[in-house]
Amino acid sequence: MASDEVREQALAWAVRAGDPAFADWNGFMLWLETDPEHARAYDEVAAGVVDATDLIAAAAPANDDVAEAVPGRRRPWFLGGIAALLAVVAATWVLQAERRDLYTIETATGETRVVALDSGTHVTLAGGSALAFDRKDTRFARLDHGQALFTVRHDAAHPFQVAVGDERLVDVGTVFDVRHDGKELIVAVSEGAVQFNPGDADVRISAGEMLRHTQGSANAVLSRVPVEQIGEWREGRLTFETASLDEVAAQLKRATGIDYAAHGSGTVSGSILTAPLRKDPAQLGPLLGVSVRAEGGRWVIGAR
Amino acid sequence: MDVNGPACATCLAVVCPLLRTITPPCSSITTVIVEPPRAGLEAAFLDNRDKLLRFLRARGAGDSAEDLVQEVWLKIAAGPPGPVAAPLSYLFRTADLLMIDRFRSSRQSGVRDRDWGELNAGDPPGVANEPSAERSIAAAQEAASVLAMLERLGPRVAAIFRRHRIEGEAQKVVAEKLGISVSTVEADLRTAYRALAEWKDKSG
Repeated sequence: MASDEVREQALAWAVRAGDPAFADWNGFMLWLETDPEHARAYDEVAAGVVDATDLIAAAAPANDDVAEAVPGRRRPWFLGGIAALLAVVAATWVLQAERRDLYTIETATGETRVVALDSGTHVTLAGGSALAFDRKDTRFARLDHGQALFTVRHDAAHPFQVAVGDERLVDVGTVFDVRHDGKELIVAVSEGAVQFNPGDADVRISAGEMLRHTQGSANAVLSRVPVEQIGEWREGRLTFETASLDEVAAQLKRATGIDYAAHGSGTVSGSILTAPLRKDPAQLGPLLGVSVRAEGGRWVIGAR
Repeated sequence: MDVNGPACATCLAVVCPLLRTITPPCSSITTVIVEPPRAGLEAAFLDNRDKLLRFLRARGAGDSAEDLVQEVWLKIAAGPPGPVAAPLSYLFRTADLLMIDRFRSSRQSGVRDRDWGELNAGDPPGVANEPSAERSIAAAQEAASVLAMLERLGPRVAAIFRRHRIEGEAQKVVAEKLGISVSTVEADLRTAYRALAEWKDKSG
């Protein structure tokens, strides 16, 4: 066991080096090199943390994200964790029939994930997206930000619902794509139909249609969209139709994990494969007819 | 009355015979990660091999440092990390985690040897000393006691630990979401880590 002083230093390094943003590996290395005991002290701390994390993650459902539950109905997360553990030990479930039991699945930019909710229903998350699901109700999802393609088994008795901010989407048997960037909500339906805000605006979006809605505005605009373009991001293709530079940058960043940003105004139309951009982010320029320059670790897209 | 249904192999949850359901994210939620591997890491690895070697030595790898550099490379080549914003950091982190894992398994085998000697002298080797269901329950109880210990440090400390370590949120994000400074997050994490290190000092 390390001395108190070395233990404290080790704690500080374990906290710092454990953060995904940590970059001072040189400083860490210099501290380690001052005394061989330092590595041992660091290991003792770091291993204890990983042991505890593994133990908790293995025993309790890791996504027990009660902190994200409806405001005013919060309970401390550990109650959820302990309740889950007690349920395991006693083999009984704590029933909470009247409220949502949400957990969040998030993707890093450049990553895609498929979440299967039941045999006929799955959701593909685009990069840089967050969705909340309900443990007790597999017919519900909330898109917090980003984009997802929903493939939903239709069940008239239990329609699948997607919440995006204050808006509601209800499926009428369907495959549909939902994108939520800042205040924009874009829903594109490739099969079946989706009802937008039933009981309020109640707009039906049919296959081959796209709805665009800005948060706070009363209008929702419907337009046509080629069905084959819907969800094509899963295959690494993005198509833009008079899209703003901001929109292009946001979608590219989500798909590739490359830090694209937009500068200035202008619109872009065109279709590109994102894979080659991972090797050379500047290739975007000739492909979409825009200017691309590296600036402080970002790739700035401008009108040409 | 026997209320135990079949247990899930991955999350230890037991299927409730009354509800006939299993809580997600277990059987009804499966996640599949589909992402192409990245080439940028390869260049970073080749450029910084010596630095990694030095880091592994500083981390206590000793004579194994060369082998471990190789292991870092194999991990990178095998795992699909997706696009990596800071390749050099990613390499160091991989090496660091590798060393932590080595430490954990050497400590674990030390504990096992000792327990084996105390409890199971005379048993044939290679026979697990507990059925796995009981081990799962023991693990669940131990997890509950760790959670309770963290909670005793204060709800904020516990919440920050969970967000950062279990949910994987960066410290900056945790600070923003909770409306506190990053240094407060760091201080709370130090408190949690200190308690966990003491817990291991006692138990392991």
